[in-house]
Amino acid sequence: MKKLFTLLLAISLALVVGAVSLAQDDDMSGMSFDFTEEQIAASPYLQSVLSRLDQSYDTSEFAKDGPYRIAFAAQGTSNAWSALMDAHAYWYVDHLGEDVVSELLYGDAQASADVQVPQVEDLLAQEPDALILVPMGAAALSAPVERAMMQGVPVVLCASAVETDNFVTEVGTNLWVVGASLAQYVVDQLDGEGNIVIMTGIPGVTTSDIMEEGADAVFAANPGINVLDKQPGFWSPADAKGIMETWLVQYGDDIDGIWSGGAQMSQGIISAYLDAGLNIPPIGGGEWQNGFLRLALEHDIEYLAWQYPNAMITMCIDAALQILAGEPVPRFIDFSGVIPNSEPFTDVEGADYFREDWSDDVHGPITMPDEKLEELGFKVMDDSG
Amino acid sequence: MALAKRKSGLALSRDNRWRLRKFVADYGVYIALAILLLVAAVLTPKLFAVDTIAVVMRQAAQLGIVAIGQTLVLLVAGLDLSVGGIFIMTSVVVAEVGNGRNEMIAPAILTALALGALVGLGNGLLVTKRRVPPFVATLGMLVLVKGATQAYTRGVPGGFVPEALGIVNQSWFVLSVPLALWLGLNAIFIFVLRGTSYGRRVYAVGSNIEAARLSGIPVDAIRISVYVLGSLFAVVSGVVLTGYVLYVDRFIGSGLDLDSIAAAVVGGTAFIGGRGGLLGTIAGVLIIQILSTMVVLLGLDVEVQFIIKGLVILGAVTLYSVAATEA
Repeated sequence: MKKLFTLLLAISLALVVGAVSLAQDDDMSGMSFDFTEEQIAASPYLQSVLSRLDQSYDTSEFAKDGPYRIAFAAQGTSNAWSALMDAHAYWYVDHLGEDVVSELLYGDAQASADVQVPQVEDLLAQEPDALILVPMGAAALSAPVERAMMQGVPVVLCASAVETDNFVTEVGTNLWVVGASLAQYVVDQLDGEGNIVIMTGIPGVTTSDIMEEGADAVFAANPGINVLDKQPGFWSPADAKGIMETWLVQYGDDIDGIWSGGAQMSQGIISAYLDAGLNIPPIGGGEWQNGFLRLALEHDIEYLAWQYPNAMITMCIDAALQILAGEPVPRFIDFSGVIPNSEPFTDVEGADYFREDWSDDVHGPITMPDEKLEELGFKVMDDSG
Repeated sequence: MALAKRKSGLALSRDNRWRLRKFVADYGVYIALAILLLVAAVLTPKLFAVDTIAVVMRQAAQLGIVAIGQTLVLLVAGLDLSVGGIFIMTSVVVAEVGNGRNEMIAPAILTALALGALVGLGNGLLVTKRRVPPFVATLGMLVLVKGATQAYTRGVPGGFVPEALGIVNQSWFVLSVPLALWLGLNAIFIFVLRGTSYGRRVYAVGSNIEAARLSGIPVDAIRISVYVLGSLFAVVSGVVLTGYVLYVDRFIGSGLDLDSIAAAVVGGTAFIGGRGGLLGTIAGVLIIQILSTMVVLLGLDVEVQFIIKGLVILGAVTLYSVAATEA
């Protein structure tokens, strides 16, 4: 009896350990990462994402017949990434047809939480069947999300998170893993030893902060890595270049690797190196942004690029339709592997992603037909250039 | 006898105080710059390396060029918030018109200058003919220019910045193209302000608009011309910034708009107009840029930079206002 009890206990422990290790191993975002217990304990974001991985939402309460009126609270035409997200949204709704989505109610937040909060209220006042929200601030948008759910409007978070857990699903990727994986790439390129600099996005913006958190965790776990300095580049090539110029006069060739929170900043970083005439060390932090890829190809830069495709809006619309059909939906939907060519890639594959006929500001992957891209006024370079 | 001596002592002391305040008002910014350089010599000696000086001066020139225009506008008791929109508009125009072709750089810059002049003219007309306060007029223009740029690009600026514009990144030791441009424009406009009747009229309009009007100065024309010049300087700064990154950035120059006002004010140009000048603004620009560079060299958080910058501006404004009141 005692032996049987011991055997059952051992089997139970093995199952628990197996379950824990499964929860700690995340290969979302196409980036594999093994978390430690301490890392999970230190990050409310990781706890939230990991806990939602295996959950699904019973959406039967939202089931209704179509066609549907869907509200889209977008970042707005504040930059190329979000403008292309909007274009994808309109194209996809057209593609689905009026018998599926009769109206897309649109809100342009101009990348501001202050603008978006009342805008969500306005959208809800129009009694949409579902709300797709690209949150501009995790804290600021929590209350509007709660109100929408209380009003019976299911909420799909697209590309970012909010602080409340009261929404149906989130479409995106594990940003902590993205930051950590870019850092791990730098560590691997340096064989665990060397001096690095870190350029973050905008302090206080969830996407930037979570990526930074993941990077910090990896660098902290590698004592051979010496972080010379960390500064925000505000996702601006000009700011990034200015900071990199100062780092270069201060540290020069002593910088062995760079972690960058965005391709636009990486462009500024590369530009500073080119002006200084120094060799460019490996960069953990590119994206499928045509301007970055062009520079990287021209100057043979070593990098790891992550992806945050604006085309993920099509998955957000699909999730909304699934909810309104009353089908259960996962509480966290990762775009990686679902949207074609949305996996991370290195300089080795970079040439396959670069598009000669796109302007520098275009963020791939684009799932709309190229003709649509041109037709919508998102310029494709003419041959005379 | 004792009373007379006491009175004479008081007068002397008041006279000394007056002189001290006048000295602070006239030379405070240079003293502040000297103190900052001394502090930097202790905390960040790397700041004095040739390479660092080159970087500081190149980045200072980007701010300095727009600060020239801002100083001119402040001298007539104006203010120009629309420069932020002009940077972005310039970047978009250079990429759209240039579209990667070096031979199109000149037409692209001329187009941006024409549009910039139009914006400046709009600012000037609103302020002079419609009597809209400069803050409101230029803020409205900022929103209008940004909105128009956004409507035109739909968030995705097309085209490519011609590579030859990267010439702005060339330098010979410390002297970079933007620095040469900044120094050259300063030299011209210091002469204009000090040695021409136009310059004297600018000061006269800023000092007392009614007195200037009564003495036959075409007040409105002077004010409008200053707003046009302010916008043209913003275009030049926008071109330099676009060449600096060789990329169409919809957030280009963010922060430089307010920094240009700060540089002029720290440099001793009064919000009420009629007092100040470009030499002070040069010192103000250098103070702001050196502070920014020191924060990176010291590895401090960016928030520290904002706090220090805020304190410097508040300190300068307080000092000048006290000096002006009692001098």
